[in-house]
Amino acid sequence: MKSSLNRCFAKAALATLLALNLAAAQAQSVEASMLSTLPVAVSVAAPVVLSAGAVLTVVAVEASATGAVWVLERASDGARSTLRLSAQAAGGLSVVAGTAVVVTVMSTGWVLSAAGTAIAFIPNEIGAALLYNERVTR
Amino acid sequence: MSLLHTLRSVLCTALAATSFAAHAGRSCESKPPTADAVERSMALAERAAKRLDATGAQVVVLARAGQNLSEYGLRYSHLGFAYRDTNGWRVVHKLNQCGSAKAAIYRQGLGEFFMDDLYRYEAALVVPTEEVQARLRPALADNTRVAQLNTPAYSVVAYPWAVTYQQSNQWAIETLAMTQDPAAATRERAQAWLKLQGYQPTTLHISAFKRLGARVGTANVAFDDHPNEKRFSDRIETVTVDSVFAWLNRSGLGGPVQVIR
Repeated sequence: MKSSLNRCFAKAALATLLALNLAAAQAQSVEASMLSTLPVAVSVAAPVVLSAGAVLTVVAVEASATGAVWVLERASDGARSTLRLSAQAAGGLSVVAGTAVVVTVMSTGWVLSAAGTAIAFIPNEIGAALLYNERVTR
Repeated sequence: MSLLHTLRSVLCTALAATSFAAHAGRSCESKPPTADAVERSMALAERAAKRLDATGAQVVVLARAGQNLSEYGLRYSHLGFAYRDTNGWRVVHKLNQCGSAKAAIYRQGLGEFFMDDLYRYEAALVVPTEEVQARLRPALADNTRVAQLNTPAYSVVAYPWAVTYQQSNQWAIETLAMTQDPAAATRERAQAWLKLQGYQPTTLHISAFKRLGARVGTANVAFDDHPNEKRFSDRIETVTVDSVFAWLNRSGLGGPVQVIR
């Protein structure tokens, strides 16, 4: 009985080990889509401010029921741009006035990042055509 | 078998099952992406859109490489059906939800499809025959039909010939079966059609898992849908992208694999 139980515990321990390794394997992708954690801008006013490598500062953050508005100011000349984010996109963000933002220009739009982390994606026409999200089943 | 022996077996099985359950449904690590990752993902989405356009197809089977599965001899981790819509390409696929043993069907753009934490910024596609596409295309735009064979209960290594769980690639080929044969209206019948068409899952060997190391991830894992004789001889069969691509080509249901880099 004792040796049988030992074998049983050994089997359970092996099962745990396998579960860990399998979890590591992740043969499937989980819903860790980065876009779910990255706000996508609904609209942007004065995108000319969003030039490659530009350093901007968030000078104002306004949150409302319909979404959030960030006002960005370019350090070099004080030019400003206004970014509108949906309420869903802006939820959980910790962007506050004073946050320094770096602009990356890409063929599909702009990425704003703060301290190396992307905080918003602003799609241009090409980028917008690549985006769509609909959950079909609950 | 004595009652004592039976009880011991039950206890042991329950203990093993508890061990698995304890590691199922871990919540996902939600790390914000870097600007570089966003740029590379969107660039891949843009390249994929151009390649999909160039196929002239209405529907393609599209895969991404979200994980390093080279230890298993696998190149891609996840697939979905991309179809041409009036607004561009849409991908219908099944996604596991972090922190639960459930998964749901999504319709997304190529941007969302590739805006995952990719292991390799590379995609692959197979163009199904025109007949296969013609039967698939209307179903992909129909929310009722794409949900018809969906089982929310998810296991990353779901057994291909059981209906207890259903992983993402498994949903895709069962749905493919459903669209190709009106009789394949249930998961069991869809699986029978897949067998008839010669689909062969990948067999994962436990020794391969051991080599992977022990980074604890988020995938939900269950083995209780696998037949004991296979499970206890270390043979875990499941639906992989690579096995689906090989089968589509072998069966003549689709063309060769095209890689998008």
